[in-house]
Amino acid sequence: MTRRLSWWMGGILMSLLLLFTFAVFGADRPIGASTYVPYYAGILFGMDPKDYTYLQEIEKPGAWEGVMLLGSLVGGLITSIFITKTFRISVIPAGWKAYKNNSVKSRLKWSFFSGFLLILGARLAGGCTSGHFLSGMSQTAFSSMIFGGVVLVTLLVTGKLFYKKNEEL
Amino acid sequence: MNLNEYFDFVLSRTEDMYNIVQNEGHGSFWLVFLIGIAFGAIIQYSRVDKFEKIAGFAMGKDTIVPKMLFLAIGITSIVLYFEIKFGYASYHVKPMILSGLIIGGILFGIGMAIMGKCPGTGPISIAEGRIDVAVGAIGGLFAGWIFTKYYDLIFKYIMGSSYGKETLVDVAGASATKWVLIYGVALILIAIVIPKMEMFDEGDIEKLDENERPDIKAAKENEKFEVVK
Repeated sequence: MTRRLSWWMGGILMSLLLLFTFAVFGADRPIGASTYVPYYAGILFGMDPKDYTYLQEIEKPGAWEGVMLLGSLVGGLITSIFITKTFRISVIPAGWKAYKNNSVKSRLKWSFFSGFLLILGARLAGGCTSGHFLSGMSQTAFSSMIFGGVVLVTLLVTGKLFYKKNEEL
Repeated sequence: MNLNEYFDFVLSRTEDMYNIVQNEGHGSFWLVFLIGIAFGAIIQYSRVDKFEKIAGFAMGKDTIVPKMLFLAIGITSIVLYFEIKFGYASYHVKPMILSGLIIGGILFGIGMAIMGKCPGTGPISIAEGRIDVAVGAIGGLFAGWIFTKYYDLIFKYIMGSSYGKETLVDVAGASATKWVLIYGVALILIAIVIPKMEMFDEGDIEKLDENERPDIKAAKENEKFEVVK
């Protein structure tokens, strides 16, 4: 049994899932994966939707993505234990150790900060890798192509500036 | 709100979530849950939820993410066009809020490179046991809280007004079929042409048998790769 899907198999399966989700006999909507964050934040921070217009706006897509997220946690857990055998508790990614540093404090500090930027950015743009890249660009939407282009450039520039060039052995 | 009220609030909002999805007409609760399972499984099984794949792409040392992403978009754009044309689906396009897309895209790109995850892949790697990503998720929840709290006051204005929901299909008009085919095929070709490069996490592959190890396979096929510990 193969322990990991090739990029083309992953791409084809993701495409089939998107097409099914879009279809009227599926969910008749695109896949998105960042609206759930303010939705869950609203629940956890005890925010009543009556007082916040944004929570009213995202009431439906937030709930949909909230349920999808629960599913993806289960899906990822199952395959990581039974197929890829990669389930383990870890704090610093190996790539971070090789190209940034070996400090738990540094990784967690940057994780918190980058997690914050990621969601703030996604909410300002109205979507993320799933909603804009996968679903939006598949619909040939110009909004998603603009977002995709900006993200791609920023990602590569940040990667170049933030990480060390070569592995220091 | 005391602790008891808070607990009730969380429970009733969770119940709302179930009821909204169940009655919204975008698939039953269980169908949406299953779509989530498939989404998580495909991403985890392809290993694109890894730091080494996403941050590795940002560093220019791994190209699995763009290859898989562009292939998926290329295939979907062509098939979805016909799916919609024959009435089995419809468009759900996001508005062109120019400043929101650009400012949001920049913040998103920086966050994605440093975290090595995006909002969809993050939870999947938490399910795999990544503590640092769980801390990142707390940061994300704070962002969601601040965004919701100051949406009317600040963020709505940063996002700016919408320049419409145009797509290539709208603009191409009568020759839409041709242009969608060009667009889709171009994306698929980009996915194939991008040279394959991989960064493997030693901890991920050390438990596998010799014949299952992707690094040994990559070495046999003369592909560019490196293993980090």
